[in-house]
Amino acid sequence: MISALFDRINEYFISYQQRISDAPEWFQKIFGADSLWDLILKNGLQAFGIALAGWLLTTYFERRHIALLTEQESKLQHISLSTTDIIDAQATEGVLLTGSIVLAHDIFRKLIITIRRIIGGNVILYERLTMRSRRAAIIQLKEEARIRGINRIINIRFGTVEIPGRFLSGVALVAYGTGVKSSSPQ
Amino acid sequence: MLVTNIDTIPGSEIIADLGLVQGSTVRSKHLGTDIAAFFKSLIGGEIKGYSDLLVEGREEAINRLKENAAAIGADAVVNVRLTTASIAKGAAEMVAYGTAVKLSDKKPA
Repeated sequence: MISALFDRINEYFISYQQRISDAPEWFQKIFGADSLWDLILKNGLQAFGIALAGWLLTTYFERRHIALLTEQESKLQHISLSTTDIIDAQATEGVLLTGSIVLAHDIFRKLIITIRRIIGGNVILYERLTMRSRRAAIIQLKEEARIRGINRIINIRFGTVEIPGRFLSGVALVAYGTGVKSSSPQ
Repeated sequence: MLVTNIDTIPGSEIIADLGLVQGSTVRSKHLGTDIAAFFKSLIGGEIKGYSDLLVEGREEAINRLKENAAAIGADAVVNVRLTTASIAKGAAEMVAYGTAVKLSDKKPA
């Protein structure tokens, strides 16, 4: 049965070679092959090379984004955050502050996630994406607060929503809270 | 017009509750944004077009909330909630709702 399968593959390879013999020379150089194993190795290496390069590049972009977030967070440390609505008596100026961001995964991580979902369990790549989104949304809140001269944000609420685009959907993270000028932060 | 998402306005006293006010908007982006978003998703990262969609929509919703509150003679809106819902392909609805109140110590908006 296995030998029948190999025969079938060999038949396909011969028809592939016949079809490619009509193609221009440069096309034959890239996609042509002397034997079946040569073809598998060549195409496999190309696919693996593209996947590896893409993975490394997108990992670099992700690292750079995290480094940027860390840098911005350290600059905005003086603004304190709270999810309670307790304010001290001297607090003045309550304004609604909002921040939101839409982040997307690259196709290489989407592929890994598709495979991961077969088994189920924690999808670490998605967890990392939403954590990054949440940090970016908080930084936008704090940035708006800094411009207005506000040093405390209270009653912070998060919301997640799917933005269905025509070709792909992005996950949006919305954060909002009330900024107050407080004489005694914490 | 003061807007907060807590029950009070810091530094002012609420004297009257004028009831629920809301503002909403459904916004979409042009086709080019979706095409750009598709290419951006190859390498990942922030999709600026959709982020802008949310920011613009939210500002519009909050502005309409303020207009509605001003129309019934309110000084401020407290306990504001923001929700976003996906309505159709490439469109999102932003809703802001809260309680319109009158303040004893009136402050300019």
